[in-house]
Amino acid sequence: MGLLTILKKMKQKEKEVRLLMLGLDNAGKTTILKKFNGEDIDTISPTLGFNIKTLEHRGFKLNIWDVGGQKSLRSYWRNYFESTDALIWVVDSADRMRLNDCKKELHALLVEERLAGATLLVFANKQDLPGSLTAKEIREALDLDSIKTHHWLIQDCSAVTGDNLLNGMDWVVNDIASRIFTMD
Amino acid sequence: MSSDAKPSSKKKEGFLRRQAKSKTDVVSEEELLKKDIISPDDVLRLGRSTEKYLCPPEANVYGIDFTRFKLRDIESNQVLFEVAKPPHSYELEENEEPDLPEPEEDPNSGRFVRYQFTPQFLKLKTVGATVEFVVGDKPVNKFRMIEKHYFRDRVLKCFDFEFGFCIPHSRNTVEHIYEFPKLSDDMIEEMMEHPYETRSDSFYFVEDRLIMHNKADYAYNGGAPQS
Repeated sequence: MGLLTILKKMKQKEKEVRLLMLGLDNAGKTTILKKFNGEDIDTISPTLGFNIKTLEHRGFKLNIWDVGGQKSLRSYWRNYFESTDALIWVVDSADRMRLNDCKKELHALLVEERLAGATLLVFANKQDLPGSLTAKEIREALDLDSIKTHHWLIQDCSAVTGDNLLNGMDWVVNDIASRIFTMD
Repeated sequence: MSSDAKPSSKKKEGFLRRQAKSKTDVVSEEELLKKDIISPDDVLRLGRSTEKYLCPPEANVYGIDFTRFKLRDIESNQVLFEVAKPPHSYELEENEEPDLPEPEEDPNSGRFVRYQFTPQFLKLKTVGATVEFVVGDKPVNKFRMIEKHYFRDRVLKCFDFEFGFCIPHSRNTVEHIYEFPKLSDDMIEEMMEHPYETRSDSFYFVEDRLIMHNKADYAYNGGAPQS
């Protein structure tokens, strides 16, 4: 095998990106993952571990990790930070009671060294529910404007209808691509 | 090429090493059976499916147990096949499709599965393969799967995926969505005419030590008529 072939293969390998999806329990992480991949979403139970999907999207190999958000599982999140290209933070926009928890958990992640280079997408999920807060309101509640350390975007969406999931994912892939693969 | 990769750069170096090795030194099953510890690099160098298992069932000291396997056609989002394992016995969940494959569990070993598919199966374009597994009371580090599919001694597909850390008492799933390898008509014909010569070995590692080895073989001559 010539050097060129090896380099080409390495490049292909490097087009693998790792997305880590976190958020409080019942935010809709698994539903987003399944909906995005065209799977049925009628029988989803709480994630007591992780769900991974590997797929091709626009020439990239996406490895998406959805790790359970229950309180007892959050201390394990740090085991999944390594090599993460983007953090997808999922918010239940109708869960006003826990917005402060949600903000605290998110900001705790942003100071993690191993997530330092990661792109941040915030999904303001459950926009289909009456009484859900808008993306603008979530942005304020989570104090996103104070984030200077990460590229970030907030995207309103509904995992149930599928609205805007693709927009969010496309932004993530574009942001990672412009950051890492500018040599191509 | 450096062979003492530092952990921080292991991803790239490991990849290069694998590329180099897979082309140069093929290893035999006999050689590997003599080893105490079998590593991912070892099985990546195997050129054909094994006759025996490369580790005993007791090597799985982590209580890792596969509880579900599902295959779906991405184009039609149709579940082609699903088998789930409740705590004590196997339960088959079949849907109404006439061309469903039928797995036959080897009575002597939970490590072997025989699949019978129809010829149409070889013409699928994009499939999603989901496995679900549970983990015992210990945390599992650096969990990695290498699965090789062969027709006779030709490698059709090799999956190499690192799950990494698994939470104690967790239930986890992974779905690999992938393009089915493009096969020539001659190849498809051959595979149909020679049932069970298509085989796969699934190797599972914790911290680079082989802890599980499962096998399967496949027939593509299922005769269910298309309705």
